[in-house]
Amino acid sequence: MSADKKKMTRGELGLQIIIFGLGFFYAIVYYVAVPGIVDLQAVSDQLLAYITVVLTAAFAIGIINLTRVHTINIKRKRATWRYSVVLLISLYVMAIFSMIASPFELDPNSVVIPASVIQFSTPIWGFLYYKILVNINASIFSLLGFFIASAAYRAFKARSLESTILLVAGLLVILGQAPIANLLWPGFGIIRDWILAFPNTAGQRGILIGAALGIVVFSVRRLFRYPW
Amino acid sequence: MFELIPGRTSEVVLLIIVLIAIYQATRLASKRKLKTRGIPGLERINEWIREAAKLNRPVFFTPGTGSTGAPDTLAALALLEYVAKHCVEYNASLIVANSDPQVQQVTEDIVKSAYVKAGREKEFATDMVRYISTRQFAYAAGVMGILRREKPAVNFFVGDFQAEALQIAETGRTEAIYQIGGTTNPDQLPFFATTCDQTLIGEELYTATGFLSSDPEAISELVGSDAGKMLAILLILAGAILVTFGNSILISILGL
Repeated sequence: MSADKKKMTRGELGLQIIIFGLGFFYAIVYYVAVPGIVDLQAVSDQLLAYITVVLTAAFAIGIINLTRVHTINIKRKRATWRYSVVLLISLYVMAIFSMIASPFELDPNSVVIPASVIQFSTPIWGFLYYKILVNINASIFSLLGFFIASAAYRAFKARSLESTILLVAGLLVILGQAPIANLLWPGFGIIRDWILAFPNTAGQRGILIGAALGIVVFSVRRLFRYPW
Repeated sequence: MFELIPGRTSEVVLLIIVLIAIYQATRLASKRKLKTRGIPGLERINEWIREAAKLNRPVFFTPGTGSTGAPDTLAALALLEYVAKHCVEYNASLIVANSDPQVQQVTEDIVKSAYVKAGREKEFATDMVRYISTRQFAYAAGVMGILRREKPAVNFFVGDFQAEALQIAETGRTEAIYQIGGTTNPDQLPFFATTCDQTLIGEELYTATGFLSSDPEAISELVGSDAGKMLAILLILAGAILVTFGNSILISILGL
């Protein structure tokens, strides 16, 4: 995204060649096959498998970043340093038990880790995962219900023509969804179906077509020019 | 030797036509210095960052839960480059939170580069760019925590978002933070529109960086993108009219 045009450095040129080469290759693989000579799809799949290796390395660096950020918090006794202690303990305790006794355990045949340790760790991992992690995850997810209610309250205020249309359409969809409203007048269900199938789908497709074209322009720009 | 994969012939032809249309429109726009439509809110990004610096509050940026392979994330990273550059320029502190470890590496590099380019490498701190978690709701909780505890003045949350978007946006709204949201996910866009001060809808996310850039070529690319959109609209109209009159030739061609 450089505003001023500069001459490419050697490193930038190298990166440009790699970016263009890989981008062009993946575009070709999607459209073209070379039967009998090379299985382009297999080459592409193999290249994608390397991404897993990069991802694993990146994950380790991510954990290092997390540890560093929270260690700094604790060292400097920042206002929230206690949370950092909880986070670091949770992170490493869970990691250790997951490595010893979980579906992804490192030594399922007890070659290095004694069977007694695995036996001892299995219920602890189960407790940490199913009784704590899953429940916390569900709790955070369920907050969404309240957030939707407050967002809907704000959105459904007739301040302008657009918000009034939104309010009316929203109410009709809610009524169409509620069994009692359909009992009172079956037309609510038909109106709801029409709103969802036509204006809603048309709007969504418009956004998707625009986004797809945006992706084309954005990708071409990135394929042909570095730095961006 | 080469063989087009069946069912994708029309896609190749359409792609080539769209690319030619984009290229021609871009060339025309560059020559005639055409102007493009504005994107509301984007003009005020600088003003908001300056305001955050004045208030001595940080600027917050998160590219969502997508990986580096998601186009939305890539567009968000391009916007981060702009935001980081201006945060350095106006002395506003920047916090970036990530869900994907690969994106974490890229964002760290972008923010660090902004400081290096300004000759202020020493001011870059490790905790400016934070990795939260790959777990969707752990990430959401982490971001909500940052918004509540560190009270940024501006919240940029553009990129690939799922259900966590509303949680982040509502928390920002409760804390009275200026919010710019952007995604192409139609399921999440209504939430962005109701909770953000400015929303980048669909392709605006991809064109935002071109619009913000003073590069006339980048701006003319927006005109090119609009030309592609016109082509799509014409195809849809032609398809609708033909099908209405019982002619399915366009469907047959596009099905090739």
